[in-house]
Amino acid sequence: MFEKVLVANRGEIAVRIIRACKELNIRTVAIYSEADANSMHVQLADEAICIGKAAASESYLRIDRIVSAAEITDVDAIHPGYGFLAENAHFADVCESCNIRFIGPNSRAMNALEDKAVSRALAKKAGVPTPPGSEGVVENEQDALTVAKRIGYPVMIKAVAGGGGRGMRVAHNDISLVKGFHTARSEAEKAFGNSGVYIEKFIENPHHVEFQILGDNRGHIIHLGERDCSIQRRNQKVVEESPSPLIDNKFKKLREKMGKAAIKIAEEANYTNAGTVEFIVDNNGNFYFLEMNKRIQVEHPITEEVTGIDLVRYQIMLAMGEPLRHSQSDIQFKGHAIECRINAEDPFDDFRPSPGRIEMYYQPGGRGVRVDSHAYAGYTIPSAYDSMIGKLITYGKDRREAMDKMSRALSEYMITGIKTTISFQQAILQDPNFRRGVYSTTFIEQLLSGARRELIEEKA
Amino acid sequence: MRKNSISEFELENQVFKIKMKRGTNGGGAAVSSEDTPVLTYVQPQMAAPPAISASVPAPSNELEIKSPMIGTFYRAPSPESAPYVEIGTEVHPETVVCIIEAMKVMNEIKAEAKGVVTQVMIENAKPVEFGQPLFKIRPN
Repeated sequence: MFEKVLVANRGEIAVRIIRACKELNIRTVAIYSEADANSMHVQLADEAICIGKAAASESYLRIDRIVSAAEITDVDAIHPGYGFLAENAHFADVCESCNIRFIGPNSRAMNALEDKAVSRALAKKAGVPTPPGSEGVVENEQDALTVAKRIGYPVMIKAVAGGGGRGMRVAHNDISLVKGFHTARSEAEKAFGNSGVYIEKFIENPHHVEFQILGDNRGHIIHLGERDCSIQRRNQKVVEESPSPLIDNKFKKLREKMGKAAIKIAEEANYTNAGTVEFIVDNNGNFYFLEMNKRIQVEHPITEEVTGIDLVRYQIMLAMGEPLRHSQSDIQFKGHAIECRINAEDPFDDFRPSPGRIEMYYQPGGRGVRVDSHAYAGYTIPSAYDSMIGKLITYGKDRREAMDKMSRALSEYMITGIKTTISFQQAILQDPNFRRGVYSTTFIEQLLSGARRELIEEKA
Repeated sequence: MRKNSISEFELENQVFKIKMKRGTNGGGAAVSSEDTPVLTYVQPQMAAPPAISASVPAPSNELEIKSPMIGTFYRAPSPESAPYVEIGTEVHPETVVCIIEAMKVMNEIKAEAKGVVTQVMIENAKPVEFGQPLFKIRPN
């Protein structure tokens, strides 16, 4: 059993990890930058070490400082959370070589899935469908044109090292392809230090459906069902739900098929601990592997609510060397869960970030309502990090109940002093298409342009 | 660096006294309150918590040498040697004032100031975090 764990992260996920540790009677060490001295995760941990200035490059990304902090506090393991160093194979290696267990996948599995092109090749090997596209990196514009001719327009040019929805270009013809090929490459070089791009068929109105995976060190892998994350704004998730209404309403057989495919990917990579396999699904029920996320994800709570399984606790147990306690048939799905991400952004000003001091904070409660947040009254949100201040999760016996609870909970959620996306989330929950469960990744764009049209018509 | 401790009260009875210390941030204790107050692990009170400001500013013209890294603080180059500096030692910007050991590497920390050491703020072989005050210097 681990006696002490260092949490190499901040914000709500650091709080989440500390909670899981406390429940297992594991002592916790928080690391924090100077900007996070008053953050909730620092208050909750048993020990706290300042590791640098506000910028992530000076603190949360500093492997040397984090490992030093782990050494002087003599921890058994490090949980990397999500983002920052969570999918950094070098960090995982450094931890292990310092005799500190890394609570996440082994570095070999990380390397087997290290970028999108490599992952595509792995998926092909595993016999899992991928969007038609190039074999690997496309070296020059002639090759790009050849690939596009083979798979047919429209196509998407994607940076192999891209992430967070960046480094992508859509092309509908040869001219835009050539242009997009060159701009994507230079953008990728600047943003990720890697100009490699590959080409995939662009699937219009796709649905984003991902599967939660758990694997132990004996090679057993199970999936815990899907999460539908199609409600996105600029490729950032806004609302997630489980189960997926697309699967439940239209393509029931996909759950088993895609679940099996997700496991095949994880097995091919010799994956251990928690991970998520992402797919896109088109309107005809064809699914394609996108990529695998080698970490615990932001939206993990909805899977926890529907399966009754504590995923962060499971990560810790698996890292300690324990075998999986569930077989695939043990996993049951009950009820419906929805998560709304609450960001410190102004939805009425193009989602401009709104850091600052929270004056009044009242979070919703009651049956079937869960809030995972590090926010509190009097807390000053630093400007150095992302704008997510919490997650609101509701659980009901069916989708209708989960939605009603979410609307009710959003209406109670009071945060003053900063702008938040609470009202925007409420607009999504009230939208008739959302309520019907009929939406794809174009949902928010359509919602916003419809809203703008109304505003314009109103003013006219 | 800050460590939470647990509730403080003195329970006096004829047989024994139990003392538990309470942390400064007022956090609840993870103590089992089932039967008798348990003889719980009492933690040594650590240096001032990070709280609202990073550190209390040095009075008047004194300045602080702060730790640029995380590690273990050593006052001397080796256990047998004399400390690099004592109270009253004159330092220049290039003067090595201490060692901070991180991951088996001994890092020499320079004063980066000119003046006289007026206070040594950390005990030998204690862990230090980023930004933690190590010495007070009166500039001259």
